[in-house]
Amino acid sequence: MSFVVAKDLCRTFDLSEPWIVRKLTMQPKRLLKAVDHVNFEIERGTTYALVGESGSGKSTIANMVVGLMQPSAGSITIDGQNLGNASMNRQEQQRLRRRIQMVFQSPYASLNPRWKVGDILSEPMRAFNLIDGATAQRRRVAELLEQVGMSETDAGKFPHEFSGGQRQRISIARALASQPEVIICDEPTSALDVSVQAQVLNLLKSLQQDFGLTYLFITHDLAVVSTMANKIGVLNQGVLVEEQATVDLFSKPQQDYTKMLLSAAPKIEFSS
Amino acid sequence: MHRFFDSDFFYAFRRSPIAIVSLIVVVFMVLSALLANFIAPTNPFDAASLNLMNGFTAPMEPNAFTGETFLLGTDDQGRDLFSAILFGLRVSLFVGLMAVGLAMVLGVLLGLIAGYVGGWLDTLIMRLADIQMTFPSILIAMLIFGVARGLLPAELREEMAITVLILSIGLSEWVNFARTVRGSTMVEKEKEYVAAARLIGLNRWQIMLRHILPNVLGPVLVIATITLALAIIAEATLSFLGVGAPRTEPSLGTLIRIGQDFLFSGEWWILLFPALTLLALALSVNLFGDWLRDTLNPRLR
Ligand SMILES: Nc1ncnc2c1ncn2[C@@H]1O[C@H](COP(=O)(O)OP(=O)(O)OP(=O)(O)O)[C@@H](O)[C@H]1O
Ligand SMILES: [Mg+2]
Repeated sequence: MSFVVAKDLCRTFDLSEPWIVRKLTMQPKRLLKAVDHVNFEIERGTTYALVGESGSGKSTIANMVVGLMQPSAGSITIDGQNLGNASMNRQEQQRLRRRIQMVFQSPYASLNPRWKVGDILSEPMRAFNLIDGATAQRRRVAELLEQVGMSETDAGKFPHEFSGGQRQRISIARALASQPEVIICDEPTSALDVSVQAQVLNLLKSLQQDFGLTYLFITHDLAVVSTMANKIGVLNQGVLVEEQATVDLFSKPQQDYTKMLLSAAPKIEFSS
Repeated sequence: MHRFFDSDFFYAFRRSPIAIVSLIVVVFMVLSALLANFIAPTNPFDAASLNLMNGFTAPMEPNAFTGETFLLGTDDQGRDLFSAILFGLRVSLFVGLMAVGLAMVLGVLLGLIAGYVGGWLDTLIMRLADIQMTFPSILIAMLIFGVARGLLPAELREEMAITVLILSIGLSEWVNFARTVRGSTMVEKEKEYVAAARLIGLNRWQIMLRHILPNVLGPVLVIATITLALAIIAEATLSFLGVGAPRTEPSLGTLIRIGQDFLFSGEWWILLFPALTLLALALSVNLFGDWLRDTLNPRLR
């Protein structure tokens, strides 16, 4: 079985007015199917990209895969373990949580502005009981900062002292602090300048090689995805309309929707 | 510290005469209250040291019988008014600060819970706040004061008066804290650093207290200063009405109540000096609070 499996994943949002208003105005319930029977599998150590326009349900899927949101139907399994398994005790939950981490879109909102970088990075170590003792934690923080191309002294600074690209590096370091196996990246570079984007993408790639990480990579930018992904799923209004290996998708897209996305994207150069 | 003196905040402070004067007055009052034991020429609570012969001595005039002079005169019992004001100031400030502290802790916690947990808890807390807002807070304080006094055994009433006073003012002033904190909490909880905290399995309390609280405290400081002025006035009002600080431990409000009895018999100073002190204190705290609000967070206006 694949490392990450999403099976018949569905998520509906209830956009109805409050019950009393609905009864008085005789409106029906308004339900939004944000994710509709989505299936995909990700092999260990590979990158699966989800592309789609804004509102197509990418973030909703990401939130369900990390367990921030419950699926309305369907299931997600990581290494054979069901994420929504209610019978797990706290310890088992924590053990599973540690293996799945996330890098977020906004470099500004994803780091607590009142916390020093060192504290941000050592929090997962404490939450998962990975490293005991202040000195050992400090050493690990320095190591993490170095792994994402920053310096040990940055641990004493606050997030606002860094640029967007540097903050995304800190965000990546925080994800790494849990020693995860899967990292969900929800548009990690879409808020960055193009030149900085490439650096962050290269960092993610080299970390994948070093640690054998599995990525679920979410983006609306096909240029970004062409350099990163092994496999691409195209999402349109909550439905996975096409899934292909990266090279195939760019050379022979099957669906009209995919062709439309490709023609809308700026010219894509293959680098790998 | 060096950063502070370079900041926009300090620059704005230096440019505002109102801020400078009001802060100086507040600091001066706080220091006099703290050092009352050393500054006050007599101990107004020591009944044995009082000389009834000294009663009704006018300010700066020697007493007709004993020949003693008092800076601000004496009251009917011969108590030195200057000393009484210093100790009264201490009681007023103590009650005000403790009440604001209580209101702040309560309001911030309820606001965090309402904003973060949401749902029926949010509805419950905010409806309670709405109801409380429709009554003047002094009325709420009197109600709580009355209930608490009714529950206490008679021999404890005098002793617990100050505590009850703090409780009743504190419980009547939490709403503004709660509303503001709830609003900012609802903004903060959608941010991704909160999602990151949930990902590592922190529970609600850890997320509220460690992650969100530091990010919603900014406006709380401003509200606390403004509420301090309100609390000092509320305390004075309650004590003036005779339901606050007892005669054995008089606050400025108690002194004003005592002084009022002698206003028309010519002993004007017994009322005037405590009243002026209260006015200066409440006014400068309020002006400083207003300035803080306008400088730090104009949106709160
Ligand atoms: N908590 C929510 N409540 C109601 N509707 C929601 C909620 N979250 C998402 N939606 C809706 O679900 C749909 C999919 O949203 P989602 O955030 O997954 O899109 P996305 O593909 O990530 O878009 P973007 O590229 O803009 O981030 C949208 O129509 C959105 O309005
Ligand atoms: Mg999104």
